[in-house]
Amino acid sequence: MTRRGRLAAALLAAACVSLAAAGPASAADSPKSKLQALEPGAPPPWTPGYQPLDKDEKGLWMEADEAERTVKASNFVVHDEALNAYIRSVLCRTVGDDRCHAARIYVIRTPFMNASMAPNGMMQVWTGLLLRVRDEAQLAAVLGHEFGHFEHRDTLRQFRDLKSKTGAMAWLSFLPYGVGLIAQFAVIGGAFEYSRDMERDADIEGLRFMTRGGYSPRAAPTVWTQFRAEQDATAVARQQKSRKDKNGGFFATHPNSAERVQYLTHAAQGIPNPPTRFGETEYRAAMANWWAPLIDDQVKLNDFGGTEFLLSSLARDNWTAELLYARGELYRSRGAPGDFDKAAGFYRQALDQGSTLPELRRGLGLALIRAGHPEDGRKALKDYLAMKPDAVDAKMMAMLAGGE
Amino acid sequence: MLRRLFALAAAGALVIGAPAAAQIGSHKDVAKSGFTFPATGPVKILVFRPDVQVGSQTAGGMNEPNADWTATARKELTEALARAQQSRSNELVMMPELEGDQAALLNDYRSLFRAVATAVIQHKLFVGNRLPTKKAEFNWTLGPGASKLAEIGGGDYGLFIFSNDSYGSAGRKAVQAVGFLFGVPVSVGVHTGYAGLVDLHTGELVWINADMRMGGDVRQADGADKRIRELLNGFPARAGATPVAAQTSSAR
Repeated sequence: MTRRGRLAAALLAAACVSLAAAGPASAADSPKSKLQALEPGAPPPWTPGYQPLDKDEKGLWMEADEAERTVKASNFVVHDEALNAYIRSVLCRTVGDDRCHAARIYVIRTPFMNASMAPNGMMQVWTGLLLRVRDEAQLAAVLGHEFGHFEHRDTLRQFRDLKSKTGAMAWLSFLPYGVGLIAQFAVIGGAFEYSRDMERDADIEGLRFMTRGGYSPRAAPTVWTQFRAEQDATAVARQQKSRKDKNGGFFATHPNSAERVQYLTHAAQGIPNPPTRFGETEYRAAMANWWAPLIDDQVKLNDFGGTEFLLSSLARDNWTAELLYARGELYRSRGAPGDFDKAAGFYRQALDQGSTLPELRRGLGLALIRAGHPEDGRKALKDYLAMKPDAVDAKMMAMLAGGE
Repeated sequence: MLRRLFALAAAGALVIGAPAAAQIGSHKDVAKSGFTFPATGPVKILVFRPDVQVGSQTAGGMNEPNADWTATARKELTEALARAQQSRSNELVMMPELEGDQAALLNDYRSLFRAVATAVIQHKLFVGNRLPTKKAEFNWTLGPGASKLAEIGGGDYGLFIFSNDSYGSAGRKAVQAVGFLFGVPVSVGVHTGYAGLVDLHTGELVWINADMRMGGDVRQADGADKRIRELLNGFPARAGATPVAAQTSSAR
């Protein structure tokens, strides 16, 4: 790979993460904004009837509007009204009713942890994030962060910064003897540093919003400690080194998660008389119908360690039938020696709790067949077919169950 | 949004100093063997909202989206398309703005067309990456489900149009001029487009045309006429009529 090729690869790799990314740890424990605001007199973009101010902003809005046309009609948008209303209520509580109307929220069904907000007010909340945050306050921290980007028109700031820096790079490319290349690296490093500075600002803005909305600011760093623990769990199961501290380095668009934990904790501690609301019960209730499908998405990621970690965190010693089902599916899909027996055990525990989920029988049947108990397995599959004769996989399961 | 910006910047900034061969300088069209419209009777073509993007190319090679230019270009291209098809006595129907399930269906087919068209462009149209199994054949399809689009919008054929322009800024031209002195090739401007026609009864792709260096300023009426003429290079003709390709092959 050429130097240029490596730079391209690194740029593109760094470009692929939005809420989560990591770089080298540096001690920035007092986060003060180093960045200039755009036109200080301009109205904030959440003002009713706000229109983009100049050519750059209009262009970015147009791109965001085009993207929103596609997102709106996407099959990945979750249309569950109750869930959408709940997320909107958390956003409104966090940033305030005067601001939150400016956001159009799209819940996107994808098992990765992220959220974003475009300059035109399109906010995306990924279901992988909903599966990972544990309470309303953690969700508020993320929504507040994204709204902070929107409020400060960060896409526009980033665009202008990149425009001037890539322009400088073009001229520097003519300098001979590698001098230009080194200078180009310095410039592009500056662009990423600018991005990280904006992310720090947005983190702190999110903290401000959630505190004002009555949520405990302690939840903000917890989002990242949980994420780091999950990355550790993934690495252990894959017998790799944890990636929690390396995700881009020089080319990181976001501060390292360790650094985020550090400055968010520090800033949260500095808030006098902080609110104490976490809203865990409310969050679990709002997500009740969604755990099963979202866990199912997660199981299919083939990330055994991370998924096992998530399931255990969700269970907290209270293994419900749905979590047991998910754990059974996880072990059955891995299929390492002993996994089919363990999976069968989890399905049986769920059945013992009185669950009537038909898929428990399917999982049990398939696990038993693979574990060397074909007779019992076929019987469980027949039970599944009796409970759900019109299942999409009925024909395949009937074949495995021995015909008819 | 932010990560897209980085990707754009990366793509743009790295053009400088890239070998000149990287510029795929060519245009090419291909149609299903022997395909013609019926000699008589109406030919109704359903047109999907043209996918248009117009901006300027910064000194560093980034595209700076321009909302006004894009809106103008979409309008001009749509009108130019109507003029062009009128002269062919084909009837054009514009797909209306859709809501709900219909919008989702259209979105699916737009994406499917994009995927299929990209495959044709990469593996059939241009030399270098052609698939041996597709050398002689032109047999791509969106599947019979595409007929659902005809049910919604009406029409026998569906026409997709993509046009992407990034006009070189003064800064970019200056970089090019200095690059020339140093012997470093720097490209100015991006002008690409492609169009495809799908039989909405069968889902078959009957014609496609792609051009990596398009002419015509899409921000003006006569420029849009020229662009549409180039985009419709080789567009199927009525049975017995002269193929359109022969008429417009002198476009450049």
